[in-house]
Amino acid sequence: MKSVPDKDILLFRSCLVSVEYPGVEASTKFVFDKLGIDYAISEKQTCCTGLGHYSDVFDQIDTTAIGARNFRIAREIGRPNLVMMCATCYAINKKSVKLLNKKDDLREHINKLFDDNGLSHLKYEKDDLKPTENIFHVVDILYGKKDEIKDHIKYDLSGYTIATHHGCHYCKVHYEDTIGGVRDPNILDELIEECGCKTIGWYDHKRATCGTGFRQRYSNPELSFTATADKMNAIADEDVDIMVHLCPNCHIQFDRYQHLIGEREGRNFRAIHLNIAQFIALAMGGDFDKVIGVKAHTVPIDSVIKELKEVEQ
Amino acid sequence: MQKITDSPIDFAEDIIHDVKNSKEEGVLKCVQCGMCTSTCPAARHSDYNPRDIIERVLEGDITILEDDCIWNCFYCYTCHSVCPVGNSVCEVNQILKQFAIKNGIGYEKLYEYMGFADSYFTAAIGAIPEIFFADIDRDVPGWWDFRQHLDEIRNELELDPPLMPPKDVIDEVSTILTITGFKKKIENIREAQEGEK
Repeated sequence: MKSVPDKDILLFRSCLVSVEYPGVEASTKFVFDKLGIDYAISEKQTCCTGLGHYSDVFDQIDTTAIGARNFRIAREIGRPNLVMMCATCYAINKKSVKLLNKKDDLREHINKLFDDNGLSHLKYEKDDLKPTENIFHVVDILYGKKDEIKDHIKYDLSGYTIATHHGCHYCKVHYEDTIGGVRDPNILDELIEECGCKTIGWYDHKRATCGTGFRQRYSNPELSFTATADKMNAIADEDVDIMVHLCPNCHIQFDRYQHLIGEREGRNFRAIHLNIAQFIALAMGGDFDKVIGVKAHTVPIDSVIKELKEVEQ
Repeated sequence: MQKITDSPIDFAEDIIHDVKNSKEEGVLKCVQCGMCTSTCPAARHSDYNPRDIIERVLEGDITILEDDCIWNCFYCYTCHSVCPVGNSVCEVNQILKQFAIKNGIGYEKLYEYMGFADSYFTAAIGAIPEIFFADIDRDVPGWWDFRQHLDEIRNELELDPPLMPPKDVIDEVSTILTITGFKKKIENIREAQEGEK
């Protein structure tokens, strides 16, 4: 497995996490603190452009120039390891680092724009960052510390039926760097196992998209919701209680639209939706309101988790 | 017989030389096996056909830029992750759309998403465009009420720093998006679309 850092980390803020599921950020910090991971958040870091990029509004040069600025900030504060809570931020930033290192014309063009417009301090030199050694998703960092997770588990969640959804922009975009499988993704299942729980493992459509499809959800909702229904029907067939994922885009698609898709399909979908950081934070004793941020969820967490049972020592 | 020096290859060459392309000459290696189409969610549920897109690109059929179907791609990268010869229809699709936009095609598809550009200049964040709020409010019970209480929820979670970056950061980001030509492009799209109304 690739080497995963536990220090000098810039925890990269995500727009969707910030405004839709802020508990993902609080839970990530809670779990990182428990595991002794050295990280910081910077107010100077800005959005990766991902949602606009994949809606075709931002072209590659716009996204990569914004990336170069964020990479400079990470290096400036001595935190060259960018760790993303959102799969889209992860894929976007990793691609920008690859392009800046490999495509001399692009790097020189962006640097010249910076030079000519009073932004020389933002220039990116070849190999300032490395795509595999500096660009991570939160799940990579958790995986690097997975043997220590069980030392901090307070609650026993093993009585629930749990399924995982892995997020295309973590697994499939930079597949050479993905931990735990691409066509048969399992990193989330392995992390959940460290919490003393067993997932259902493979299910029909496990590796398929959540159905968001960026512009599809808003401009082409029929197509988007039909794809999501594949997944929701599959997890309902398995009578899943808790669906665990790693990306706020997927989180919105499942949690916000479960009711609507249930009406369309004529089925009562009842799973609750948690990010892996929220799931682990919950198992480690994180408070529903102060850490997990359950008030941001559309499907109420307490519709499934009614009481918490402490693990037997 | 088609030769590599034939003009239809120019279209594929333009894609290969696009800055977004990370697969080198992958598009030329396509053997039309259809693995992409067999795993594609858009192909499963619509007329979108990634195998056919590459066939048309290799035939030099630039009318594909005007074909509505290219806008059905989910950008899920499933095709990209399974292609046996290392091509990426997902990336090719993104490049085709940027070619279309550079040729003045598809402005109406982008117009709804101008909010992503605006929120970058005003707040350096990529929030969901307000134009969609009414749809979300209709489809997601309680969402609007939740968003009204976002600050309280964030306070309870003790999140720091605040949502909005400082002004000097927003200014710097606005400058970057002006010098890359992004701002001008957005103005052109807006002018063209609002001029039509």
